[in-house]
Amino acid sequence: MSKKNKLNQFYLNSNKIRLYIIEMLFRAQSGHSGPSLSIVEILNYLFFQKKIYKNFNNRHNFVLSKGHAVPALYSVLFNLNLISKKSFESYREIGSKLQGHPDRTKLKYIELGTGALGQGLSVSIGFALANSMLKKNRKSFCLIGDGEIQEGQIWEAAMYAGAHRINNLCVILDNNKMQNETYTKNTLDVMPLKKKWEAFNWKVLEIDGHSYLEIHSAFKKFYNEKKRPTIIIANTVKGKGISFMENSALWHSKVLNKKDYIKAKKELTK
Amino acid sequence: MITNLKKKALRNIFGEHLVYLGKKNKKICVVSCDLKSATKTSGFFKAFPKRSFEVGIAEANGLGVATGLALKGFVPIISSFGAFITGKFLEIRTSISYNNVPVKIIGTHGGFIGKDGATQSGTQDLSLMSSLPNFDVFQPCSPIETIKILNYIIKSGKPSYVRICRNEVGEVYNKNFKFIPGIHKELIKSKFNTIISSGPLIFNCIEATKILRKKKIQAGVINVNSLKPFNFKSMERLLKNKKNVLVVEDHVSHGGLSSLIYETIAKSKLNKINVKSLNLDEKFSESGTPSDLEKANGFDPKSIAKIFYEKFKLAK
Repeated sequence: MSKKNKLNQFYLNSNKIRLYIIEMLFRAQSGHSGPSLSIVEILNYLFFQKKIYKNFNNRHNFVLSKGHAVPALYSVLFNLNLISKKSFESYREIGSKLQGHPDRTKLKYIELGTGALGQGLSVSIGFALANSMLKKNRKSFCLIGDGEIQEGQIWEAAMYAGAHRINNLCVILDNNKMQNETYTKNTLDVMPLKKKWEAFNWKVLEIDGHSYLEIHSAFKKFYNEKKRPTIIIANTVKGKGISFMENSALWHSKVLNKKDYIKAKKELTK
Repeated sequence: MITNLKKKALRNIFGEHLVYLGKKNKKICVVSCDLKSATKTSGFFKAFPKRSFEVGIAEANGLGVATGLALKGFVPIISSFGAFITGKFLEIRTSISYNNVPVKIIGTHGGFIGKDGATQSGTQDLSLMSSLPNFDVFQPCSPIETIKILNYIIKSGKPSYVRICRNEVGEVYNKNFKFIPGIHKELIKSKFNTIISSGPLIFNCIEATKILRKKKIQAGVINVNSLKPFNFKSMERLLKNKKNVLVVEDHVSHGGLSSLIYETIAKSKLNKINVKSLNLDEKFSESGTPSDLEKANGFDPKSIAKIFYEKFKLAK
């Protein structure tokens, strides 16, 4: 496939995932749209390019630590035909495998149930250590939010991974600059991100989290890193892809009405 | 019942047995939170450095790391003071309990620990942990019981909390003792009167029955080593025909042993029993030697005996 075609396909796929997200949230009349939409390209890359679950029994490990963004993960899995249409349509309904926040006991592709923020990175360290002990050339990926790093446990984990030079661990920080109520900088400023993680002895990469080429080159650098854990600070737009949701704290978890849904769908299919 | 063996601290038994288990099972690993020597995991660290992880004074991260190891098929044991580790309740609740991951948490320093005082003493740990779905919650009273419980949790495939105290104790079982979670054991049989306890306090209760016997009061002792699962039928059978029951626990009663005994009675038809509870409700421990603390709070054998005959009006 030519480079241009590859790029086209990547962005078409991202668009498709966004449509699924909107569909899920409208159907459920609840859920977190903004924080799901900001991680679409990253998940698209990890699951389609890196094929995390290609061989489920010998897979790379992935933890979505910001569990509220799980509609994005469900949409990726649906796009991979790993969950049925019936399951997909049951999101947030009683008895569904697709819980409001990820549940590993109900859906096998979820490696860790999350929802109380700040906990995924520590578990990803456990995965990385286990992969080393098992002498498996498998990577441990963890996606965290920028607001999430206000949790103290993140820094306990960051300190441990840096001190022990856990090089098979890659964190992607979804830097959408907003959290539940408002801008991160107005709640508790998390900046300067780069200096903080560098001080904890991590290899820090900063990219546009919606650009295929930048994501691709960052993960390549992670694969070549031998000495330190890697963090990719992905600068993203909360609500990316739907104009009225972009950079709006309102759309952290606002319910989509029919008018919004049609408008969003129209923007994504034009 | 054997009670004359040389006294040993249960945390030492735990540490020694852990090394033995580590030799047999290569999946066992240990996570420490800067308390290797106090919780007796130093031996394991020395014997199996590649399966040993020191996370520093960071219990929340330690619990998460253990979760990741367990999800990849290892059997991680994380040990710290019970008060500290169960304080990370949200991390245990979400990462371990909700995900149903077989992490083995060892909480040492429960009850009257001595001069370090209240902040280091686990006196709410059992009820916190008993509230969590998927968890087993155990407390051994003697060396043999400690070994049998450790053997069990390594194979159970379930998240477990084991409260291991630092008191030096003797033995109440022989090596053929079979640990069955939830089944309670009447160590000293008696028709009408009994004392129910868990952990090393059992020995104070046994001593108390000797004092009571001198006063011509026959009292038995029931040992509860499993708070979750808790077999209510097993307890009901033991309490049938009993008139006076004293529950002794170095812990708050809410969600602890006393609650379980009241619940047994409520669930059964044993409505003619007088139950009293000696516990640490609405208080923290303090500094002092363990024996001074026991005396000050009424947990020494003499006080337990006195409480028994006074509360149940058995004094002659």
